[in-house]
Amino acid sequence: MSVRQAPTYQQGVPQRQADDNSDVEEEALANDYREQVGYEDGQDYDQGSMGGGPQDLQAQLQAAATPLEYQATLETKIQSYDSYCNLFHFILNSEGPVDIEVPSHFWAWDMIDEFIYQFNSFCSYRQRLAFQQSSTQVNEEEITILRENPNTWGCYSVLNVLYSLIQRSQISEQLAARKRGEDSAGYTGEYGGRPLYQMLGYFSIIGLLRVHCLLGDFSLALKTLDDIELNKKAMFARVMAANFTTYYYVGFSYMMMHRYADALRAFNHILIYVSRTKNFQKGAQYDSITKKNDQMYALVAICVAFYPQRLDDTIHTALREKYGEQLTRMQRGGPEALPIFEELFRAACPKFISPTPPDFDQPHLNVDPVEHQLSIFMEEVKTNMFSPTVRSYLKLYTTMDLTKLAGFLEVDADTLRNWLLVNKQRSRQVRQSQGGLLEGDVVNSSDLDYAMQGDIIHVSEAKVGRRLVDWYLRNLARTY
Amino acid sequence: MVAFDYAPERPEHIDTILNGLDRYNPETTTVFQDYVAQQCESQTYDAYANLALLKLYQFNPHLTRDETSTNILVKALTVFPAPDFSLCLSLLPPHILAQTKLSQQSNGGPAPASGTLAEAVQHLNTLHTALNNAAYTLFWSTLESDDLYADLVADVQGFEDSMRVRIAVVVSQCMQEISRPVLESWLNVRGSKLEGFVKEVCGWEIEGETVRIPLNSENEARGTVVKEDVRFEQFGRVLKRAYEQPA
Repeated sequence: MSVRQAPTYQQGVPQRQADDNSDVEEEALANDYREQVGYEDGQDYDQGSMGGGPQDLQAQLQAAATPLEYQATLETKIQSYDSYCNLFHFILNSEGPVDIEVPSHFWAWDMIDEFIYQFNSFCSYRQRLAFQQSSTQVNEEEITILRENPNTWGCYSVLNVLYSLIQRSQISEQLAARKRGEDSAGYTGEYGGRPLYQMLGYFSIIGLLRVHCLLGDFSLALKTLDDIELNKKAMFARVMAANFTTYYYVGFSYMMMHRYADALRAFNHILIYVSRTKNFQKGAQYDSITKKNDQMYALVAICVAFYPQRLDDTIHTALREKYGEQLTRMQRGGPEALPIFEELFRAACPKFISPTPPDFDQPHLNVDPVEHQLSIFMEEVKTNMFSPTVRSYLKLYTTMDLTKLAGFLEVDADTLRNWLLVNKQRSRQVRQSQGGLLEGDVVNSSDLDYAMQGDIIHVSEAKVGRRLVDWYLRNLARTY
Repeated sequence: MVAFDYAPERPEHIDTILNGLDRYNPETTTVFQDYVAQQCESQTYDAYANLALLKLYQFNPHLTRDETSTNILVKALTVFPAPDFSLCLSLLPPHILAQTKLSQQSNGGPAPASGTLAEAVQHLNTLHTALNNAAYTLFWSTLESDDLYADLVADVQGFEDSMRVRIAVVVSQCMQEISRPVLESWLNVRGSKLEGFVKEVCGWEIEGETVRIPLNSENEARGTVVKEDVRFEQFGRVLKRAYEQPA
């Protein structure tokens, strides 16, 4: 199955079916996935032959998509950076496009993924080393090397690679054309028509999403995906790891923008997909997914605690299994829930990094960026801390006197008034329905609503009618 | 429909920078800084552009201008309860927030040195927490408690008035009636000034000790039943099957 013969990433065909939940599509995707896995097992590249010319390049391409050993030394990591630079330089700055067959369908993803992973772990390592040098014995030699190479794995060069790949391949123009329903062939330019460039460009967009998120720029992360339509026909959905990564970072960015409904939608989508295809997943790829899978369930737990919602049955069951106790405690709210939020956030967040090299002369300044994002997130958690309590009482009444309720809760009337205001404001969330990921309308996300007339609280409930259509269609499809 | 990256008053040259790679070019820092100053003066707000500037500072710490950073944070306060303030904090260097956190510990760690960005961020964070917790009375009293606050918000034209309007919006979403003393302390205006604000700016009515807020879609509290929308396209496949496989 060559990429040339399979123009599968032609998403945005004009009359794309609006139906995103069909079993048939799932089925097709699952088959597709099986094929890919089979293909991976069957592939056999002669990595030993370094006979120069195209073979040598093939080996380089392969190496670029292969993880470093876990115990790799600092030297190896720096070398690896250099070979990435050389390879990208060759691909981007040769005279005219490089003419070469791509090793495999998902190779481009593996390479971008590994490139960013090495960047990420290098930065984290450097930061940790700089921070620890005051308290523990660290390798002085390594510190000297790091001091002398401040630009190794530099943020600007990583971004430069990703943006250059995007520009060279004119992938944004191509995707925009497809979105408009035109043939993208007219927008490819000299490079973009070739699978090598097209795929590298495409996955660089996903790579950017990830890098921006790692640097704490969540709105820009989501903005990056403007040209990509998140649906099952998108090209990234054909590579399981890419599919998974995309939704993880989209969901996480939404969560940090306090858009829990949108975050949950992203997580739900991918978790359901994983649970349906897990029977054909195997090997190392599956192990890495399992970890991310658990992280996403933790994030789902956090979002559900903020934004009570009915979950899909499969998700709900798995969530109860994995984080049942934590979820109950988070949903109860109050100060006791704070450590749980912290624990889950730490376990599930990406390994944030600082874009600049650490200050080796002032170790205490090199605070772990994870702690930084955590403390910002916890502010938001603390704000919402009492919302579950307030909601649980209000559910019982249609009208209630403020002072009486304050008595039940053992707080003064002013505090309760503040809680009510907080909860009401937080129940209004921006939610995306169409257009770019940053767009959206403010909607009431809670099934509970209330208004105060002086000290009287009027409570109303939004009852959700049973959702029958989806159930009906699913069962209908089954009986055929 | 509101898009986070949309700002109605954004000039064209800023838009060009934001959409191109120049947003990473350290030379555009001054352009963005001028734009922030302009926002402070003209009472406009462009979150997306301000975040781009903070990102430039994040990448090039030596270019950081503390004053502009705090102006951006103050501007972000004026749009609470939107997440803008948190998003700005996310782009600051981690040690800034770590210092403010240290000083808040129960055993009383060292307060950030006077005149530093950390000190400014700590103060603004206090205001942000008060606003987020809807503790408006506390917000105003904190704002008046220290001269540093006055300095921090001085550049932002009409800061207090925009905060009053934001608070009034929250009130109009949650309340049908509110007692006058409560409203006075939330808005930090009293007497005839309050009457003017309530009637002219908000269009509410005052009856003795009660302020009446006209009903709107947010403060009605009417029970609803959410029904499912069914689109014909959802049945497309079923219908197609019916044609393909005649019984």
